[in-house]
Amino acid sequence: MSKLASNEYYDLVRTTNWTPRYVPESELFPEMMSGARGIPAEAWESFDEPYKVTYSDYVATQREKDAGAYSVKAALERANYIDDADPGWVSTLQAHYGALAVAEYAAATAEARMARFSRAPGNRNMATFGMLDEMRHGQIQLFFPHEHTKRSRQWDWAYKAMHTNEWAAVAARHMFDDMMFTRDSVSVAIMLTFAFETGFTNMQFLGLAADAAEAGDHTFASLISSIQTDESRHAQQGGPVLKILIENGKKDEAQKMIDVIFWRAWKLFSVLTGPILDYYTPLEHRKQSFKEFMQEWIIGQFERQLNDLGLDLPWYWDEFIRALDETHHGMHMGVWYWRPTVWWNPAAGASPEEREWLESKYPGWNATFGRCWDVITENLQKGREDLTLPETLPTICNMCNLPVVGAPGDGWNVKDYQLVHEGRLYHFGSEVDRWCFQQDPERYKGHMSVVDRFLAGEIQPQNLAGALLYMGLAPGEIGSDAHNYAWAGVGKQQAAE
Amino acid sequence: MTATPEPLKPLKTWSHLADRRKRPSEYDIVSTRLHYRRRNPDVPWELDPDLPMNDWYRKYCNESPLKHPDWDLFQDPDQLVYRTYNILQDGQEAYVGGLFDQFSDRGHDEMIPNEWIETLTAFYTPARYLYHGLQMGSAYVAQMAPASTITTCLYLQSADSLRWVTHTCYRTVELSKARPDLGFGKNERAHWEDDPQWQGFRRLLEEGLVVWDWAESFVVFNLVLKPAVEEALLGTLADVARSNNDTLYSLLSQAQMRDAERHRRWASRLVEMALAVDGNREWLRGRVAAWTPKAEEAIRAYCGALKESDGGEAAIENMLAFQRGLGLRD
Repeated sequence: MSKLASNEYYDLVRTTNWTPRYVPESELFPEMMSGARGIPAEAWESFDEPYKVTYSDYVATQREKDAGAYSVKAALERANYIDDADPGWVSTLQAHYGALAVAEYAAATAEARMARFSRAPGNRNMATFGMLDEMRHGQIQLFFPHEHTKRSRQWDWAYKAMHTNEWAAVAARHMFDDMMFTRDSVSVAIMLTFAFETGFTNMQFLGLAADAAEAGDHTFASLISSIQTDESRHAQQGGPVLKILIENGKKDEAQKMIDVIFWRAWKLFSVLTGPILDYYTPLEHRKQSFKEFMQEWIIGQFERQLNDLGLDLPWYWDEFIRALDETHHGMHMGVWYWRPTVWWNPAAGASPEEREWLESKYPGWNATFGRCWDVITENLQKGREDLTLPETLPTICNMCNLPVVGAPGDGWNVKDYQLVHEGRLYHFGSEVDRWCFQQDPERYKGHMSVVDRFLAGEIQPQNLAGALLYMGLAPGEIGSDAHNYAWAGVGKQQAAE
Repeated sequence: MTATPEPLKPLKTWSHLADRRKRPSEYDIVSTRLHYRRRNPDVPWELDPDLPMNDWYRKYCNESPLKHPDWDLFQDPDQLVYRTYNILQDGQEAYVGGLFDQFSDRGHDEMIPNEWIETLTAFYTPARYLYHGLQMGSAYVAQMAPASTITTCLYLQSADSLRWVTHTCYRTVELSKARPDLGFGKNERAHWEDDPQWQGFRRLLEEGLVVWDWAESFVVFNLVLKPAVEEALLGTLADVARSNNDTLYSLLSQAQMRDAERHRRWASRLVEMALAVDGNREWLRGRVAAWTPKAEEAIRAYCGALKESDGGEAAIENMLAFQRGLGLRD
């Protein structure tokens, strides 16, 4: 008879629901943690994950994966690739690790939420594997950058960033905490695994792996593609949960959760990924613009997935498509201008050749965003670096906690979408950000953005130096122009030529 | 920004590990001080401070009666990270897979007594519910624990419970092929919900699953329920299995006991750490004293119904000895 095939016993492994007797079912699965929404346990038992895995397959496969990724790292470590890498690429890595490593470890908590509280036994087991996956992603993305701590204090932020009040870290936490740590199991399955992971990160990781290979960073390329291969296993949990909600008359609730988190994910990617693809990546390595990347890898597949499930495109879809031409350019200019407030060195990416590329990918760029960069470039050429650095804080959106941006120059359309709620004035970067707030004001109303805290006197001394102190940034950590202004025709590199 | 102070110099490791004297291990680098929800005890999550989930974490993690000034000093005595866990368990699974394979080739299930197989329907295969409950319990304590080094132990512990569930299901299907008439794979839920031998464990599990304080939940699962389950199912039942020629069950139980011993090692280390703080001993002893009688009752119900067993005497004694070894019982 020999060994059983896994499909012979797989179903039994997820036949684990029972009827509690010694405590009420409602207490065993509190609605706040479970979010079963009145749908009975039997209906949740129809949850069927498309991608199945057993424990022994899991440990065997994952052991192999780590063996591969860690040996690539060990083999390339002495080559000191990073010392000769383009500074824009180094910044890409520092921004990536700081925003994601510790957050990925934390994501295991969201998986643990489902592993304990989901009413669907298949969900509980997949979430147990998901818990391990996210633990891997946190650990491996700490281990890899750790070898660089001796190079600059900025690498320390791979660990440190999420533990600070630095504004990008606050924005990332606000989004992650909203999406996966303060939600019931069903919401986590939809928001984290469906809207965020299958919607964004899956493809983001493919894109980043391609960029890394193109930039010659084979260590990072193998790391990122290895992580990406885990995603589809746990990212699949949202689909079956959505199916059950829709079958049980909860389509509107499901749709709203997707609409809120898709927008929130978009905003985060517009500051984290957009600038990297269109400005930090050296021109010769740019395969696609951020917009093309979003169109090819995210929009099409997300539309298809929503359609397959019988869901609708978010109501703001046209505005989202329009914003692909704009938002990340604004975020990039914000990050570069306020560069002392981040833990990496933003690459301006505004040399004459790069501006030509930007104009070709985003017709009208020179007449809008280019206008600001004209002034910045001129000031640098006149030796007025001081005019390219901020003396005040930007207005921060009370939803995404990112600067309120829009198109400048000839296409000026910057607008603050305000809202007075219970006597407090809130600012929003878009109509959709404001809508997200209005869906559930209780979740957000008492939160203070970094600017709110500044105005409330929580940040002392009340100036830029005080703000840097509050954000945990000291010289050696704070950002500066990645290429020492060579792109503007000034700076060390230019002088040497 | 002209008169800037001296830039911070690069360090050899993370800033939070820099003042340690020894060179940080892979374990230190990837496991320590990762829970960012602990940075602001008043508002764990970066949202409205009064959000119910902020209350939940304040109340059941930050304000737990079990206190320590720095839980992040905890270290897993086995120093497992994800990478080494898979290496360890892939090896263990190769061993267990080999057992299944070889015993099946030898026609093991055809050679053991029929009466014993009937015993397995009532005393073994329903354990998948219990093991799954342990999987859920560990996942809960993991999401509430105050330090990432504690949480990591619990993630792995939860995965080990899923491992036991999987082994149990594998054997359930094999046994159903040997004895299709006994309802293997179909009747476990009824046994688990109704048979008297399971009710003690079921009661303790269900009550334990609704203990929300992280430390009390840790006590219930790691210091009371798990030792009780392990001593009864991997201990007593394995002894009886051996005398019924079910060598496979006995070897499988020993293999699972390796996981259980690892869970006890880290749990012991955590208790040791907690006992260094005034007031914790009394609280821990109080909680252990409150929950253990239910575990004794559970063992007695289970082992007492199991013919040819000692009625649970050894299992109870082993569980109490474990607690005594921790200093939590006289």
